[in-house]
Amino acid sequence: MTPAIEVRNLWKRFVLRHNRAETLKSRIMGVFDSRLRERRETFWALQDVTLNVQPGETLGLIGPNGSGKSTLLRLIARTYYPTRGSVTVRGRVSPMLEIGVGFHQELTGQENIYLNGSLLGLSRRETERLYPAIVEFSELEDFIDVPVKNYSSGMHARLGFSIAAHLDPDVLLIDEALSVGDEGFQRKCQERMQQFRARGLTIMFVSHNLRTVAALCDRVCLLVHGKVEALGPVDAVVSRYQELTAVMTSGDGRMLGPELPSRSGETL
Amino acid sequence: MTAADVVAHLRYRDLLFSLVLTELKVKYRGSTLGFLWSLLNPLALILIYSVAFRYIIRIQIERFTVFLIAGLLPWGFFASSATASTISLMVNAGLLKKVHFPREILPAATVLFNLIQTLLALAVFLPSLFVLRGSVPWTLVFYPVVLAIQAVFVLGVALGLSALTVSFRDLRHLTEVGLTMLFWLTPIVYRISMVPAGMQAAFRLNPMTSFVSVYQDIAYWGRPPSAGDFLVLAGWAVGALLVGWAIFRRRAPYLAEDL
Repeated sequence: MTPAIEVRNLWKRFVLRHNRAETLKSRIMGVFDSRLRERRETFWALQDVTLNVQPGETLGLIGPNGSGKSTLLRLIARTYYPTRGSVTVRGRVSPMLEIGVGFHQELTGQENIYLNGSLLGLSRRETERLYPAIVEFSELEDFIDVPVKNYSSGMHARLGFSIAAHLDPDVLLIDEALSVGDEGFQRKCQERMQQFRARGLTIMFVSHNLRTVAALCDRVCLLVHGKVEALGPVDAVVSRYQELTAVMTSGDGRMLGPELPSRSGETL
Repeated sequence: MTAADVVAHLRYRDLLFSLVLTELKVKYRGSTLGFLWSLLNPLALILIYSVAFRYIIRIQIERFTVFLIAGLLPWGFFASSATASTISLMVNAGLLKKVHFPREILPAATVLFNLIQTLLALAVFLPSLFVLRGSVPWTLVFYPVVLAIQAVFVLGVALGLSALTVSFRDLRHLTEVGLTMLFWLTPIVYRISMVPAGMQAAFRLNPMTSFVSVYQDIAYWGRPPSAGDFLVLAGWAVGALLVGWAIFRRRAPYLAEDL
């Protein structure tokens, strides 16, 4: 079967800029005074990651902070660009990374639904068709004509999830989105996820909540320092993660890994 | 760019219109005078320059206000687009990080928004121009063509400036200073023939000089532009678009991480 998401030997390098020369002025001053010069350090956020997600499969992505989970999701969503290797996604992607960031605060909920729809590649007519279901799911009927700046953070998240969840995507990318809203809404989101799985959507799901991961995923991938540490059945990978965490925390009391993994230390 | 890319871009034309509509809504919401506010700025400039140049400096240009309007409105389109384009990517950092879409749409929306503002201003000031002038020159039929060519030129400038400002944040302030200087180096409140002969060649290196001169021809002098005029304008437009887009394409893949 052709995978829905195909990640091949993917490497992503970030450039850390100390004393970042963000302006022409500092760039020019750097020529005269080496103390003002920008120092660049690179680190590899992802190293040689290869994985496939089959159509209809739900893959969980776990790992300590800074292990490259969100970076991988952004590369699949195509907002980041690979340094080496390739990412292929077949079908329409609905990203749920950092829900609600795409909202315009001055616009009403209704206007934001249309704006968000067009951002995700929908025509106005397609959004019009989905509009009633989005509003109903979000339970924001009474506030839909109010500017989003007056929404609570929970209302923000509900609207964001509802839009992303109704786009009829083929591939769904979720970054900790289910930890939003009150308990009732969280349950609703999980139900919706189960519906998506039943309908055969391909889902990639980042979470620190191992119980949710175990409940929702077919397979799990464990990332550590930007490398695939384990990839396979839920139980095996989750217990491997727990082992790792236990070793690291009992060792010297530090959490697993530094915030920025695998600094290569090379200077550009 | 492949054919598939073009098709993908066409799918996003609703996004372009949504973004422009958003800017218009946000700008005019909650003000009863609505778009009249955006006429205030050109109106104030026209009044103050008319007073200064007609009555104080006593410039030797007949019907100075007509002459001024002919050059000032197209300049406003260029200047306000350039200023707004410098921040068009930075204010949308959230969108760029969250969703994949053709990045060109953001500066393009800025230019389209300013074009609409310019059209609104033209709808009001062009008729008043003919009250002042006494007659309607037939050469005005060239106006939409010249404006379309200018829009391409402005788009090129906006693409380049928006991408460069992400790397060099102070470009925003440099642009403002640069535009103020360029305004006085463009024959808007004086005629190019008033510039000392030795400096005229240098003045003609300024693309806005070419555009403004053609606008004055068709709206003030009633002279049809020559084929050569159109070639020069088209050359500036295509050149700006190619350079601006090349700069933009080079930075586009890394915008989400640089912002």
